[in-house]
Amino acid sequence: MKKHLMLLTVVILILGSLAPALAQEATSLVIWADDTRAPILAEVGKAFTEEYGVEVVVQEMGFGDIRDGLKVAGPAGEGPDIIIGAHDWLGELVVNGLLAPIDLGDKAAEFFTPAVDAFTYDGVLYGMPYAMENLAFIYNPELVATPPTTWTEVKELSAEIQASGAAKYGYIIRTNDPYHWMPMFSAFGGYVFGRNEVGAYDPTDIGLDSEGALAAGAYLQSLVEEGLLVPDIDYDIEHTMFETGEAAMIVTGPWALPRIKASGVPYAVTMIPGEVQPASPFLGVQGFMISAFSQNQMLAEIFLLDYVANADVMQQIFDADPRPSAYLAVREAITDPDIAGFVAAGANGAAMPAIPEMASVWTAWGNAMELIIRQTESAEAALTNAAAQVRELLATDLSAMVNIPGSWQAAVGCASDWDPACKVTALTDNGDGTFSGTFNIPAGSYEFKAALGGSWGENYGVDGVRDGGNYSLVLEADSVVTFTYDSATHLVTVTIGE
Amino acid sequence: MSALSTNAGGPKGLPALISGQILKLIGLAILDAFGLLLFYAFWFSGNTALALIIAVITIGMNVVIFVPRLYPLRWMSPGLALMILLVIYPLLFTVSTAFTNYSDGHLFSKEQAIALHSKATFTPEDAPTYRFTPYVNKADPTDYALWLTREGDAGTEVIFAKEGEPLVVLEGVEPEPPEEYEGYRPLERRELVAALSVLETAQFGEEPNTVTVVSAARGVAARSLQRYVWNAELNGLEDRQTGLFYAADDETGSFIANKGRAEQQELQPGYWVGVGFNNFRRFVESPALRGPLVQVFVWTVAFAFFSVMTTFVAGLIMALVLNSPDIPGRKVIRSLLIIPYAIPGVISILVWKGMMNPNLGVLARSFGINPPWFSDPLWAKIGILLINLWLGYPYMMLICSGALQAIPTDIYEASSVDGANPWQRFWNITLPLLLVTVGPLLIASFTYNFNNFVVVEAFNKGGPPIPGTLTPAGYTDILISYTYRLAFGSGRGADYGLASAITIIIFAIVAGVTLLQFRFTGQWEEVSENV
Repeated sequence: MKKHLMLLTVVILILGSLAPALAQEATSLVIWADDTRAPILAEVGKAFTEEYGVEVVVQEMGFGDIRDGLKVAGPAGEGPDIIIGAHDWLGELVVNGLLAPIDLGDKAAEFFTPAVDAFTYDGVLYGMPYAMENLAFIYNPELVATPPTTWTEVKELSAEIQASGAAKYGYIIRTNDPYHWMPMFSAFGGYVFGRNEVGAYDPTDIGLDSEGALAAGAYLQSLVEEGLLVPDIDYDIEHTMFETGEAAMIVTGPWALPRIKASGVPYAVTMIPGEVQPASPFLGVQGFMISAFSQNQMLAEIFLLDYVANADVMQQIFDADPRPSAYLAVREAITDPDIAGFVAAGANGAAMPAIPEMASVWTAWGNAMELIIRQTESAEAALTNAAAQVRELLATDLSAMVNIPGSWQAAVGCASDWDPACKVTALTDNGDGTFSGTFNIPAGSYEFKAALGGSWGENYGVDGVRDGGNYSLVLEADSVVTFTYDSATHLVTVTIGE
Repeated sequence: MSALSTNAGGPKGLPALISGQILKLIGLAILDAFGLLLFYAFWFSGNTALALIIAVITIGMNVVIFVPRLYPLRWMSPGLALMILLVIYPLLFTVSTAFTNYSDGHLFSKEQAIALHSKATFTPEDAPTYRFTPYVNKADPTDYALWLTREGDAGTEVIFAKEGEPLVVLEGVEPEPPEEYEGYRPLERRELVAALSVLETAQFGEEPNTVTVVSAARGVAARSLQRYVWNAELNGLEDRQTGLFYAADDETGSFIANKGRAEQQELQPGYWVGVGFNNFRRFVESPALRGPLVQVFVWTVAFAFFSVMTTFVAGLIMALVLNSPDIPGRKVIRSLLIIPYAIPGVISILVWKGMMNPNLGVLARSFGINPPWFSDPLWAKIGILLINLWLGYPYMMLICSGALQAIPTDIYEASSVDGANPWQRFWNITLPLLLVTVGPLLIASFTYNFNNFVVVEAFNKGGPPIPGTLTPAGYTDILISYTYRLAFGSGRGADYGLASAITIIIFAIVAGVTLLQFRFTGQWEEVSENV
């Protein structure tokens, strides 16, 4: 009896194990969307299903969960065909090979160009934008008669408001929030990453300590020094102060409008003041992207181009969550003065850098801002150090480094001798297969080797022998020494004197 | 349920035996079905390790139930299974990840990465691009053709492209697609969508002059070739569009062309490979270590120590007070005092943060208590310890109350006979005996606070920032928050390999500190033996 039962169990188990392999999947289009967009897409999906007989499944997810979900589900072959997301995810998603390119073809002309540009990464378009968001200047018309057009005017106005006692503060800004500092930062000529010749962000050009950035820092510092601004302001404090009339001017985004409206405080939305140039707030662009692991990429493209990229659906998306549309027909028909204010303020905006290096910037930049507002450090010191921190964080990839580790390194400013990763003694690429560097070395007798990639893994000694003996160098007097490394022969030549 | 153990004597009779046996088998079948389901889900999603663990657990459960000798294990098996799944597997996974370069840009295995790149296509520059209208053979619904048009130098060029037949430019034909052509009729949009899977891969024309559907939505077709071709012999991907050769570097898991030269180029994504102790070496060489690590470490230990001390002292005092039967309504008071423990920590922290705000906070506005909570390093540390005290004392109060009940009253009676005063009784009886029970929990609390990321992050994100440091760090940053930001919030995206290595290093530190403390608890145990 028991034997039979066991046999039966085994047979059932084997049959059961075959079942999943036999099941067949029908073609369907899976979309991951957040709660605001999901109902609209579900409606559009119904029309699509009616027309083409392809089922459209809209799965609702938290906006931020979509990116992480795709990273897990995509490679497993279970992910969505289409996702909704923000343009600044591109760096992470493209580096991981999770997105398929999209070609809007003639439809591209129907979209706001900066929004399409934002979804372009390394010259390839990866998304179809639907909305964008940016900061704008919001002021209390009872306290501010005409909105200021420069930051100098903002300061004067703040001083006036404070002196007259009409409000406790004029313009206020959060203590550690570089995203909200960016408009002022850019108005003075500051920038985060420079751009290369094709207009893409260049992670080697860090502008946190550029002349404009220091000017913006000095301006911020002067606000605090003159008692016009205090530290310890965050999102809630800032809005409470504005909504209770304690502060007259803030810079904030469209997401805060419902809150400001509900408070009943008089407000108006307008352009952000400029200074040496117009303010350029970060633009965040939201759009649709197609998974690289989708089995139905062409179908997904048909859905997006034929069913979503039209004035009707784009209007619905706008109505459900009013922020400036990326679709021109809807964007130009905006009548709401608040949204129009945000549209105007974003006219000079630049897409927030989507390159992964941006992650290294936020903390250092925000800390610099806080140090300035708390008057712990001067603007110049704080920003110079923030830029140094970002450079340090981004320079972790040493694979291209050619170095001359030896007993001379500490003498020229390295933390220790024999350090193959010390940046001070790294040679620069001459572009012809040789690398060289010139240093002021005090008199003495030294030993050294050549090391590649910032480690001892690949090193060359005397006669270019791998793991060979040390070179020696005797300097009778303090000298200017040039080391030249030849990557073909692995030899190091030393030239003493200018 | 326990049919197997009782069937030897057979006192229950056959029907009971069968029903017990069947019930057991049904239960096991459900369990196995569930295990199989998980196994399939993990196996086919490429998560082989997890699939194998599930298989081992499922088979283990079967063995335990079918082998009478292992009967006693049966009641432990669910716990063991969960422990393997939720503790041992993640542990092994973390350790193994620490020795790989698993990170953004290296999430795939080499095979997956090659498969991914092999999907890319390109259109050669000299190849023409057409607008197409799809056609289908009236007699054979699986035979498709394309009506191609292109603006050429001499007006519009028209081609009717069939699979396997050369592309011939039609002379004297209107570019407008006709209702019927050579027995083919145009596909309706609905039919096009249904036929997409076939059309996507179909080659129209004769090699080497073929045309493929590039975009059905825009009606574009062109010659389209596989861009990256894997060359197993040379271990790299050939880029047929640019002619570059991306050599697979199995040490770094990258595809790199022109390595070591100025025009070096990388094809992303790469793949994950084992990198030995590289992550540990990177941490040692990283700016994190050259940055304010010592300062952060000292504060981490101080934070954990003072958090445990303050919460324990406060909890003990309250427990002692509430232990006295003279306090009226002590049950109500005790319940009220547990409230901070019942409210989610993040909410309490944010409320405190709001109360401490110098601009609008209730402490500053209503009570005039306004020290520089957020800007002065010392006050920030005091602030975070205060909040942690609020969050932590109810736990200490609870465990102390329990431990106090367990101290035998006859010891107190004996001591009062000997003439001990309350103070002496506390120091010589209550505290030593209390520490025997509570000691290990204090160590657990210390370890917990050592990694108490939530409090630090929610209160002030480690602020105020330390000026002039090599890496961004704040005065209240503890090891875990500092390294978290360096591993995940910097460089080029998330680096799971490095993060795992850091986890192991922090684990080693915590384990060392804990071992040291267990020495001290050993002393407490001796005290209890003497009493």
